[in-house]
Order: sequence, then structure tokens, then C-alpha cells
Amino acid sequence: MNELKQICKDALSEKKARFIIGYKEDKNKRIKPFIAKTPEDAEQLTFNHHAVNNLAVYLPRFKNNVEGKIGIVVKSCDLKAVTALIQENQIKRDDLFIIGVNCSGVVLDIAKEFNKDNTQIKCKYCQAKTPPYYDALADESKDFEMPDDDQAELMAKIDKMTSDERLEFWNAEFEKCIKCYACRQVCPMCYCEKCIVEKSEPQWIDTSSTARGNFSWNIIRAFHMAGRCIGCHECERACPMGIPLTLLTRKMGMVASSEFGYRHGMSLTEPTLIGTYSTSDKEDFIK
Amino acid sequence: MKIGVFVCHCGENIGRTVNCPEVSKACASFPGVVHSEDYKYMCSDPGQNLIKQAIREKHLDAVVVGSCSPHMHEKTFRKACASAGINSYMVEIANLREHCSWIHEDINQATKKAIDLMRFAVERVKFNQPLETIKVPVTKRSLVIGGGISGIQAALDIANAGFEVVLVEKEPSIGGHMSQLSETFPTLDCSQCILTPRMVEVYQHPKIKLLSYSEVEHVEGFIGNFKVTIRRKAKSVKEELCTGCGLCAEKCPIKKKALSEFDEGLSNRPAIYVPFPQAVPNVPVIDRSVCTYFKTGKCEMCKKVCGREAIDFTQQDTFVTEDVGSIIVATGYKLYSIDKKPEDSIYKGYGEYGYGKFKNVINGLQFERIASASGPTSGEMLRPSDKTVPKKIVFIQCVGSRDESKGFSYCSKICCMYTAKHAMLYKHKVHDGEAYVFYMDIRSGGKNYEEFVRRAIEEDHVNYIRGRVSRIYEEDGKLIVKGEDTIAGLPVVIEADLVVLATAMIAQQEAPKLAQTLNISYDKYGYFQEAHPKLRPVETNTGGVFLAGACHSPRDIPESVAMGSAAAAKSLVLFGADMLEREPIIAKVDATTCAGCFYCQKVCAYNAIEKKEIRDRLGNLQKVVAFVNSGLCQGCGTCNATCPSKSIELIGFKDDQIFAQINAFAEV
Repeated sequence: MNELKQICKDALSEKKARFIIGYKEDKNKRIKPFIAKTPEDAEQLTFNHHAVNNLAVYLPRFKNNVEGKIGIVVKSCDLKAVTALIQENQIKRDDLFIIGVNCSGVVLDIAKEFNKDNTQIKCKYCQAKTPPYYDALADESKDFEMPDDDQAELMAKIDKMTSDERLEFWNAEFEKCIKCYACRQVCPMCYCEKCIVEKSEPQWIDTSSTARGNFSWNIIRAFHMAGRCIGCHECERACPMGIPLTLLTRKMGMVASSEFGYRHGMSLTEPTLIGTYSTSDKEDFIK
Repeated sequence: MKIGVFVCHCGENIGRTVNCPEVSKACASFPGVVHSEDYKYMCSDPGQNLIKQAIREKHLDAVVVGSCSPHMHEKTFRKACASAGINSYMVEIANLREHCSWIHEDINQATKKAIDLMRFAVERVKFNQPLETIKVPVTKRSLVIGGGISGIQAALDIANAGFEVVLVEKEPSIGGHMSQLSETFPTLDCSQCILTPRMVEVYQHPKIKLLSYSEVEHVEGFIGNFKVTIRRKAKSVKEELCTGCGLCAEKCPIKKKALSEFDEGLSNRPAIYVPFPQAVPNVPVIDRSVCTYFKTGKCEMCKKVCGREAIDFTQQDTFVTEDVGSIIVATGYKLYSIDKKPEDSIYKGYGEYGYGKFKNVINGLQFERIASASGPTSGEMLRPSDKTVPKKIVFIQCVGSRDESKGFSYCSKICCMYTAKHAMLYKHKVHDGEAYVFYMDIRSGGKNYEEFVRRAIEEDHVNYIRGRVSRIYEEDGKLIVKGEDTIAGLPVVIEADLVVLATAMIAQQEAPKLAQTLNISYDKYGYFQEAHPKLRPVETNTGGVFLAGACHSPRDIPESVAMGSAAAAKSLVLFGADMLEREPIIAKVDATTCAGCFYCQKVCAYNAIEKKEIRDRLGNLQKVVAFVNSGLCQGCGTCNATCPSKSIELIGFKDDQIFAQINAFAEV
């Protein structure tokens, strides 16, 4: 713990970062995002299994930054969002001071202790406890044995469904949607200044919480994530209605990986899947 | 809005399957439609007059024509409407022919569909906006890449019309492959005799700037406004001082180490050389890979003998930039070298013919050099191995061409003709010799071409054998050619003294790289792609870039010259106006909602998307957004489809127009 505080303190006092976006524990013992502006502030920074938020969601607002570097505390899953944002011109690498933390998993329910039954799905198949790159690394990791990836089993089950059954499954899930757009607000990749759902002339998406409106919103959001979703699962965490949104985004990530050997947010130099043509791209969809 | 609807019968084309009067009647009841009629030929003069008359009498704001594909007559109807006083972009075409009458049989159903198509177009046109053509200034100067006969022709035509030309040639001299040829089919006139005057004309033309030993490095800009960076490779000779006396080449101690490119490796050249005596410009270059000075730091013989002190060993590559309005690509071809194949080549080659292994197996261009008066044998018919006169000669056609399993599936087109010519030249020089030609088919389409081949067979008694050769091997100084006569159905064995392979014409190795520099397309063989195979054969998909000669596909001299002139004419069309008019159908960015992800920039095939900074009044950066360069945008709409926040729209195909169309469909 001291290590993270020390790194942040040093970074702020040595002006390596003009502020640091991190986590602190509030008086109710809840971990929440916190921006440390001074070395004294840094004393409050912390990291543990309850540091669920993907802080990269704050970065696009600094894309025209001219003042000094922005410090950010990231888990390896969050770093993928940072990478993707850099690739999509939402932030510059030079404007960042990245403080990576070794992470051994975060909780699903923030009100409960971290244990085998209270682990986020993404952690169950996470392959990088340490962020692949950083400017400083804090080691907060403890060894922890991950439970089975039960989402993969559910996905295999959905894969086996007929398209009618699948439609029924999703209609039942989307029926819950109340169009609060929390999934969009929390998503680091949803940085558009005016979301397509807010376009009215013409209106692309029915904004009412009807079956049609819900379906078009959730499916279009998923499509906009195709080849872009970095898999932080924040959308599902934020959804107040418990819609398993990551079933869609994870599936698309798996397709991108199996069909194109691509995983978004993994490399700063690899060209993005969307927007890059390669002669070796499969064309079997052209009939 | 007052909309006029016009339904064309297209003679019987639409009228046969679509009840046009009924369509017209149905359209009259659509909201906004104040005029509706049908006519047999709407594109004819009387038809157009009906439209004009209706516009004037009923004060129409927009027009919908149900007719053939907009590819055919959209322009016609737009022009007609413009002449009657409404903006030409207030016209929409419903394709009742290709999309309806031609593909359906049932009259009732086709008529119903035609009414639907008309309704979609009527709903769409309500959202159309008057548009003005975009005007772009033109730099009236042309760049020609490649100084072969096609490039020479293009350069001369443009220069003679009074416009400046920059001619870039990668070799030390212009002239291309034509300068290597002995005689030309079908007239047998001497290639150099007809070519060299043209080369000199290029050199002396006040409007042509010749940059030899140079290559195009980088191109930016768009039609009418290109900025081209050209690498001038170091010749190690000061061009402005050299008089072309040739003393340096004569005294150069390196005589045997380098093979002459011009003689296709049949002779040697010194380290400092001009490719051939008639070279233009007549300035030598030093081949640094063989020059003793560049290898050991000693020698300097050429420098010592040069009275003009023109030799400069320290010369470096330099870069020049040229502003031009059009670019003509005339980079030509090369012959399929069947002995040396890159490891990863998909072409399997013809090892069984022994090219590169047997000295007396040569290719067509090498035969040209042997037959040429300026060649290594001074035109005497002597074979390479022992310089004796070959008494039996075998020509093999289609080596690499028309061979999907080993080479290329296309026909190289010129080989039938030049093989007939080779055989003829041989017979003219070796009267008692025997010439055999193995062929698959004789393709001699062209003026006086078939007659020429007949002459070779009938007057010069060349033996044509229809069939392929399976193997060539050497035995007692003879080449044993084993083949098949498919007409007689018999195996053939010929003991030949010399074998000439008509190897395929292939694209230049650097063609794909150049295509990427110029942003033009190329096919799987590396040949550049035309914009339309029939109607736009010299244009590319990039405005202002034209193609000439064999860089497009295998071509003979007359065709290359014609294409050079055609490309020149296309450039001159461009230079005819001071301002270029372009269709206003281009993409437009809504800077207020653009999030600056620049996926549009990644997908744009025309490099038309730029980054634009938006600053407030104090100069503080507000945001960086995408910006469409209207000169480069071709209106393909890819950016429009890619933009996640729908911040790019294609003018003329805006979302509300398309939505209106789709909604009209949903209302059915």
C-alpha cells in the first residue's frame, strides 16, 4: 500500500503528473474514484479488491490537454482502455503518467468481502495481472485462486441456441432495460460528444423503453463496440437492471480474436481492427 | 414543395413489363406531386421538353424521373431541369429498368413495385437540397512517369499543346523497351529509327523538363493540385558540364564486370556508361556497385580523362518537388524472368526449359538484341554460346502466359506477333535455316497483323507447330526440344541450335509501391487498374491520374502510343478550364458532434480526411475534428458508414433522405 502512495507522492512532488486519478476510501469504507492534486492528497490514495471502477473513462475530457501530464492508476484491464483511447485519438500517450498496479481480482458486489463467490467475471479469465506497460508499477497483488469461468459455459449454451431461441433470450433480457444509459456513461470507449441515440433528425434509435427501442439501443451499442470493446465489464457492473451486457461484448471480442487474431487495447502499435484493411482478411461473408 | 413525376417507357424496355400509364396515375396521388405523366422516350428531345414545359408551367421545385439507371441518364435529366430553372440536384431517378422491368416478368407485380420505387424517390426528393458544383483551381502542368514510347508520346502531346511537362525516367536514358527492339511488326521498320527522333524531340522541347535517373518518391494533393517529390539519383556526373564525349566510358578499366542492361545481359558495359549510343540525355552515370573507386577508393580514371571536370564522386541523391495538375503513369512492363524466381513466388516457372542454364535458350528481348544492328553481334544472327549461326531455331510461345498452373492466366498479347517477326527476321538473315514455332493459338488481331503472320508461314516458310514443349536438354552442343504436335497427334523432337522463349509480359516489380504512392488501384498481377474497363480505360479511380501503355496491361507499340495520346488528351481536358468543376456529392463533417476518433481517416481510400483544430477567439484549442478535403473526396460514403456518432454525412445522400426512402418502404 505504501508503495502506491509513495509513487504517487513522488510523482506529484516531482511534477511528473499534475494530478493523479486514483481511488480512495471514503468514510463509509467504500472505495471510490479520487483525484489527488497535491502530495498530501496522495496520502489518501489506495488500492484493493474493491477498486472496481475503470478510471480511463475520465481521460477523453483531457484530450486537448496542454498543461502537464495526467497521472492515472490502472489495473491491467483498465490499461487496455487507455491504450484504445490513445489509438482513437482521445488522449496522447505523452500526456499520461501511467501508474500500473498488480491486481489479483476485484469484487462483484462492493458491499461484500472479496472471495471466491464475489469475483468479477473478467477476473476469472484475466491473463495479465500486471499491466503490459506503465510509467511506474505498484505491487498490491496477493496470490488468489480464481473460480471457474462460468460465463464461458453460458456463452457456449447461447451459441448452441437457434436464432429464434437467441432472440427470445435477448428480448427477455432487454425487456428489463430502462434506458438510463448508465452502460454508456461508464464505458471508456463511449466518448462521443453526441451519442447516436440523441440524434433526432433523423432519429436512428427509438428512445422509448419499448421492446423495439430497447432492442435497437442495446444492439447498436453492442455494434459500436465491435472490435473496440476492451472487456472491462463496466457496462454490466453499472447496469441497474442486471442485463448481462458483457455476453454480447465478450462474444464479439472472441470473434475478433478467432477470426482476425485481434484483441483491442493490447498494443499501441498494432493497427485497430476497425478501419484497417488487410489482404488476409477473411471474405467468407461475401456470398 | 411541388414535385413533378415523369415515367419513361424506355421504348419497350420498361413499358413491356411495367404498366407505365398506371404508374403515372398512381404517382399523381402522392402527397406533394402536382404533375405526373408518362412518355415513350423521356430522354429524347421531346421527352426532355415535356419535363421543361411542366417545370415552367407548374412551377415545379423538384422532379422525379422513373427511367433507366441513373448511370445512364441522370446527367441528361439534371441538365434538362437546370435549363428550365431548377437546381440539378433537385432531380431524383427511380430505376424502373434495371431494378424492375428487366428483372421481373409479372406485369401486375412489376407495376406495383415500380409504383413503390417511385414513391421512395418522391419521399426522398422532398429532403433534397439545391447544391452547387465545387470549383477547384488547376495547375496546368503535367507529370509523366516513365520515358518509354507511351510516356514520350504523352509528354510530347501535352508539351505541343503548350503546357509544361515533367518527364521522370528511372533509367539513365529515356526510350524504354522500344529502344531495344530490332524491327517492329507488322511493317518491319527499324525501331530505333522511328523512336530516336522522338527522344531527341523530348530532350529539345522547351516545355519538357526531363529528369532522367529519377524516381517519384512521394505524392500529395489532389486532381489539379498535386505536389510531387522526385528523387534524383546520384549520377556521379555533373549533367550541366558533361558534353557526352564518351571518353570516360572508353577509358574505364572495368569492362567485363557489369552486364549491359540494354543488351539484356548479352554484352558487358563499363562502370561509367550510357546505356546505348543514342541515349537521351547523353550523359553517363557511374554504377557504384561495380566502380573500382567506390569499392577501393582508387582509380579515378574517368575523372582524369574528363576534360570538363564533370565527374563528381561525392554527388548525393537530391530531391526536387514539382507542382502538377495531372499525372500520367507510363511505367511499362518487364519480361517474366523464368530462371530467377523469388522464394515465395506463387509462379512455378519453367525450369524444364533450361533458361539461365543453357546459354542458347534466350528470351524474346535477347533475340531482339541479337537481331538488332546496334546489338552485341551488330545484327548478325549468332547464337550466344559459340557465336555461330544457328541453323535450326525454335520459338516457344506462351511461356508464362495463359498458364494458370505455372504462370499467369492472362495473354501477353504481343508474343504471337513478335514471334512471327522473330522467325521472319531469322529467315531473312539465315536463308538456309529452319524456324519452328510452338504455339497454343495464333492471336493476331490488329491491322495487318494476321496478314503478317500468314506471310511468315507462307512466304518465309516458318514451321508452325500447335502444341507445347515439355522439355529442353542439351546433347552434343544441340538443344533437344521435346514437344507435341497436337494437330498431328504426334510427339515432336527438334535438335535446335537456338531456342527463343516468348516469356510473359509482367508488371514492374515496384508497381504496387507506386500505386500506393499515387493512391490508385492495381490488380493481382500488379497492373494498374482503370476506372472503367470500357468507358474510362485511361483514367484511374484517383482523379487527375491517368494510365498509358503496358503498365496497365500487355500492349504493343501502336496501342501504347494511342494510350499515351489518350492520357495526354485527358490531361488537356483538365487544363482546358481554369477552375475544375466537381460534383458536390462529397462527405461533410459536423464539427459540433465529431469526437475526433479518426476512424474515418483510417478507412478513407482517397486520403481526403484531414485533422482540423478548432480554437476559440483567444486561440485556445477547443477540439480536433475531422475535415474533408473537397478536392480529394470522391463521395464514396465509407466514412459516413464508419462514423460511430454519425457526424459525417454524404451531401446528396444525407441520412434524412435515406430515412425518408426507407420509411416510405415501411409504410407499404
